[in-house]
Amino acid sequence: MTNVRIFVTYKPSVFDPQGETIKEAIQSLGHDEVTAVKAGKFFDVTLTATGEDVARAVKEIADQLLVNFNMETYTYQVMEEA
Amino acid sequence: MRIAVVVFPGSNCDVDLYEALHSVCHADVEYVSHYQKSLDGFDAVMLPGGFSYGDYLRAGAIARFTNIMPAIIAMADAGKPVFGTCNGFQILTEAGLLPGALKPNDSQQFICKNVPLEVVNSETVFTNQYQKHERISLPIAHADGSYYADEQTLNRLERNNQIVFRYAEENPNGSLHNIAGITNERGNVLGMMPHPERAVELLLGNTDGLRLFESLLENGRVKAEA
Repeated sequence: MTNVRIFVTYKPSVFDPQGETIKEAIQSLGHDEVTAVKAGKFFDVTLTATGEDVARAVKEIADQLLVNFNMETYTYQVMEEA
Repeated sequence: MRIAVVVFPGSNCDVDLYEALHSVCHADVEYVSHYQKSLDGFDAVMLPGGFSYGDYLRAGAIARFTNIMPAIIAMADAGKPVFGTCNGFQILTEAGLLPGALKPNDSQQFICKNVPLEVVNSETVFTNQYQKHERISLPIAHADGSYYADEQTLNRLERNNQIVFRYAEENPNGSLHNIAGITNERGNVLGMMPHPERAVELLLGNTDGLRLFESLLENGRVKAEA
């Protein structure tokens, strides 16, 4: 079993109104040192696959469902493999 | 012309769409469940507004996987009219029948009001009863209506005259190029965020949407006579 965390965010070129609003809220707390916030979402996915099969499965799932490549991009981390 | 109105779990403008066609335009229209696999016998298909699958993941993303979707794609490929309003537009982009995507509104708010629009292309099967550059008003009601596409796609839309409706005066949601509605390259698939089906009777306070349905029906009549 493998646990994978897939992060989906807007491409850098796409305006992220949620991140922008959160940044302004953070700044209103007095944290002037914060200059940018990007919001995104993550999915914890548990697979029976291991090794290279994980990479293949994650790519297919991201390409076909989790990510809209018109505006989004993704990264992922293998959290644990047992 | 026989028209299908597809009902997804979470559709909530399906009745409006059906009644605009049935009660107001006296068209031959039928509800079709997302469970169905066929659109045989239909000449056009319409995807209503609402929140299919609760907008889970992204608006329209899950509806793409329903039984009915291959039949909708086949109709689009056959050149038959395919129309989506609001969530229907989102589904058409997620299914790849229209380019680009709909993002959350820049304001992060759900917006529900009449907005002025410009009819940019009056030569489609959906807009032939409007005048080019005509100013109309239609209701919008959405949280995820900000049209996004990369520069190359936007240039292609402009070049091919695929932008059918643009927000006039103000841009309510941050849509690039003020886009409110686009067609595919062939012109037989239209997606738009505004709701023409909510503006078809004087009783509703607005009839500017009526001619969209009349355009489609007129087009069907011309074809039937030919």
